[in-house]
Amino acid sequence: MQSIINSIVKNRNLIIYLFLCIITLNFLYKNSNIHYTQFGKIGTIFSGKTSSLSSSLGFYFNLISENEELLKENLKLKKNQLNIEFLNPSTDDSLRLKKSIISGRVIVNTVNKNKNIIVINKGRLNGISEEMGVISPDGVVGIIKNVTNNYSSIISLLNTELKINALLKNSSTIGSVSWNGLNPKVLKLNDIPLSSSIKVGDTIITGGMSFYFPKGIPIGKIIDYDNSSLEGYYEIDILAFNDFTSLTNLYIISRTDNPELNSLINE
Amino acid sequence: MNREIVRNCTVYSLILILQLYIFNHFNILGYITPFIYIIIFILYKTNYNKTILILAGFIIGMIVDLSLQTYGCNTLASLTVCFFRSRIEKYSFGINSNLPLAMIKGTKFVNRLSYFGLIVFIHTLIYYTLLFFSFNFISIILYYTIVNSIVTFILVWIISQLVYKK
Repeated sequence: MQSIINSIVKNRNLIIYLFLCIITLNFLYKNSNIHYTQFGKIGTIFSGKTSSLSSSLGFYFNLISENEELLKENLKLKKNQLNIEFLNPSTDDSLRLKKSIISGRVIVNTVNKNKNIIVINKGRLNGISEEMGVISPDGVVGIIKNVTNNYSSIISLLNTELKINALLKNSSTIGSVSWNGLNPKVLKLNDIPLSSSIKVGDTIITGGMSFYFPKGIPIGKIIDYDNSSLEGYYEIDILAFNDFTSLTNLYIISRTDNPELNSLINE
Repeated sequence: MNREIVRNCTVYSLILILQLYIFNHFNILGYITPFIYIIIFILYKTNYNKTILILAGFIIGMIVDLSLQTYGCNTLASLTVCFFRSRIEKYSFGINSNLPLAMIKGTKFVNRLSYFGLIVFIHTLIYYTLLFFSFNFISIILYYTIVNSIVTFILVWIISQLVYKK
């Protein structure tokens, strides 16, 4: 205690000086407009710097919840997009309303086999059932094969067993997309007759002729074609819009069929 | 001792009155206002209490501020000059700085020049920096400081000679 008092007495001039400085600056701040705005500016800059640091730190630690929020928002937007854009305008309104989307996260993904499977973290409890279509933000991914309570496996487009109904966007010619098991970026478009005109760069979309996918979801674009086939069909290479090696979030679309429709087809 | 204090107080009051009634209304070239009251801080004897010097700096600066409507610019400049006066003395006079009155009589001209000049310059620099308070006006601040310092220095020098001739 004694030493504190001693040091105060020793530094009394400094203390008095600082005290009077504060009084003067306060006087200056309160009475002069220029100083008021300038001090205000300094205050704003200072508080901006400090709070931006703390908010960026907070932002970093909240990234997980932020991500979840973004996923939810994406899901909502995707639903809207599908309802407005992809669904065939001629589809009955009751059918349109039935379409709903579930989001899932990839936990297993292979691209190096000829029958590649993707596993996601959503299952029957989340409303997923067999043979639902799976898309990513870039385009078609595959079809649900097996479902357990919490997980689902997807036959990806990179599976030689899968064929998906497709459409040339420009000419509305219908074909089917499959994979030959070689390059994970290049798919094959089959069944396009030589009579239709195609060119490199044409976009391929889903045809809407199956219950898996509504019409209009992008698949890829033509990068090469061969018209010398004797069978009367083109051999077309397409570049998939999806990068199958780096899938993270997927959307599962519920099927567009209903019992009434099925009974009609089965008859 | 008492007579000396009374005499000094009278001189200081006179200088302050001169500042308030005459020099505050000087506006040479539109911006030069000589601050002759700095002479009080220059002539204040070193064997007196330093705390009183700081308090005097605050009060005198505040009085000048109130009359000039500068809201604390003179006060802060005076306070700072008073607080750092002992260091300026040491820098200017070296080992002799503790001798009372040594600053005015019996010292080298160069030492006195640097002592007066430093105090006037520091005071004026702080005053104009606070008055403009913006980086955009640095050139104007320096220009005004230099011109005003020169005028103030000449007046302070003349008055100090007059006071100590008596």
